[in-house]
Amino acid sequence: MAADPFPIRASGLGKRYGAVTALEDLSLEVGQGEAFGFLGPNGAGKTTTIRLLLGLLRPSTGEAVVLGKRVTRSVAWRGEVGYLPGDMPFWPRLTGQETLDFLASLSGRAALARAGLLKRLDLRDADLARPVRTYSDGMRQKLGIVQALQCTPRLALLDEPTKGLDPLMQQAFYDIVTDMRRHGATVFLSSHVIAEVERVCDRVAMLRAGRLVTVGTVVSLRQAERRRVIADFTEPVDVSALAHFGDVTASGDRHVELLVPQAQMPALVARLGMLPLADLLVERPTLEDAFLEQYR
Amino acid sequence: MSSVRVLLRHHVRLHRMPLVPLAAGLAVFEWIMTFVARQPTVSRFLTSALRAAPPEFLSLLNPDLVAGVSAQGIIGVGYAHPFALLMMAVVAVRVPSAALAGEIGRRTMDLMAARPVLRAAHVAAALVAMLAGLAILAVAAYAGTLIGLAVGPVEGVSALRYAPVAFQLWLTFACWGCVGLAASALCREAGQAIAWTSGLMAGSYVLDYAARVWTPLAPVRPLSLFRYYEPQRVVTGGLALHDVSVLAAVGAAALLVAFAAFLRRDL
Repeated sequence: MAADPFPIRASGLGKRYGAVTALEDLSLEVGQGEAFGFLGPNGAGKTTTIRLLLGLLRPSTGEAVVLGKRVTRSVAWRGEVGYLPGDMPFWPRLTGQETLDFLASLSGRAALARAGLLKRLDLRDADLARPVRTYSDGMRQKLGIVQALQCTPRLALLDEPTKGLDPLMQQAFYDIVTDMRRHGATVFLSSHVIAEVERVCDRVAMLRAGRLVTVGTVVSLRQAERRRVIADFTEPVDVSALAHFGDVTASGDRHVELLVPQAQMPALVARLGMLPLADLLVERPTLEDAFLEQYR
Repeated sequence: MSSVRVLLRHHVRLHRMPLVPLAAGLAVFEWIMTFVARQPTVSRFLTSALRAAPPEFLSLLNPDLVAGVSAQGIIGVGYAHPFALLMMAVVAVRVPSAALAGEIGRRTMDLMAARPVLRAAHVAAALVAMLAGLAILAVAAYAGTLIGLAVGPVEGVSALRYAPVAFQLWLTFACWGCVGLAASALCREAGQAIAWTSGLMAGSYVLDYAARVWTPLAPVRPLSLFRYYEPQRVVTGGLALHDVSVLAAVGAAALLVAFAAFLRRDL
């Protein structure tokens, strides 16, 4: 059977708890082999979405199809899914080894990737022999990543995957994601860390108060943002003549800062060329700018 | 089926340590009861004390206690004693509460439920773990009696008479365990499930006792599950089909609630 080209499909997905709406009318598709970022502030509905995709919650409206199966109809598809919860829970008395063995046996698949993951995340045999209650937050997170990915899942649902990891381990995690994608796996990554999403993901969705605000490629979201233009002049100029190119955010006799849509850039540069320009700086917008613009 | 086995091993790993002292304690307790029953001074003292009591007072007493003045009865009291009931209650409350509500409250259920395991398998594994734990305790209790009577035989008392009592003890708490499983399937925290199950159990015990000693409450006694567990009657007359049927039916109904609730709920 051919693999579904969209490992995740949600249509009109919603979840209500009494009068509280946690998620409303979410429709999106995530393609095979894609790294998809899911951004939003606390309480935006990111974790609710992941738990709906896994069938841990029953949707109030709509439906989710994961790896070609309706999530509420069967469970076999979950064998090909790796899941890392946002707050990594563990059985405190079990050792790391027992935890990994238990969760791998429940997955029903061989933990072929375990040894490689343990090596890359620097978890040693001695660490695995200790009860998880003695682990630091970072070690628990590493163990969480290993349990999610040890059975080489086709789809990884990762909620705040680098929480508590030091920069070296974050880099190791990014390398792991790159390798997974090289082997055709799909990664759905929920995060607060915009730089991480920008670095790892091809496409991004942004949620606010349970509603999808925007979805697109990282490049298109960046391009949709206005450029910050900072110009200094050798002589006093009338900056009001530049106001129609965009929003003036700061100005003086010999200094102006503007937010300018990309389409207006050629005309602005041409106009600035006619003025006694001393210095010109055009800042490329980041995903963070796009994020902040959405949530202001 | 294999996921039930994996989950069952998980429950065994989490609960095996407390089970050992509980089973040992129960076995020693029932052995001590055979030792007490062998002491002629004990039954003589109890018999003469009861003869001296006014009939109105005797009618207020627990029939198990009144019957317990014989050596056979004293051993039977060991199966109705609050200590034995408490040991069984620990397993009937602890295992089901931890298996569903406990895992949900700790969020470890997310890790398990995100894998290809039917929700029914979680309930089934918890049920088997609970029934097996209670069986170990009931067998330990009977072993205590068996060894006690083998080491120091009591005239006219056969250890075989206590096998059905141990079975009924297991059945009664298996029924409570199913009630605990239903509570666990409906709650979000182990503490809530424990509170509901032990509250119902304590209420049921008090109701049974109060209905025995206070006639106006007698009509409501059938509402208590402990009404269907009478070790002295089982020792003398064997298992009562009616009592066994009621306990099995209540257990089955609670189990249905547990399956239905857990299959439909948000985790």
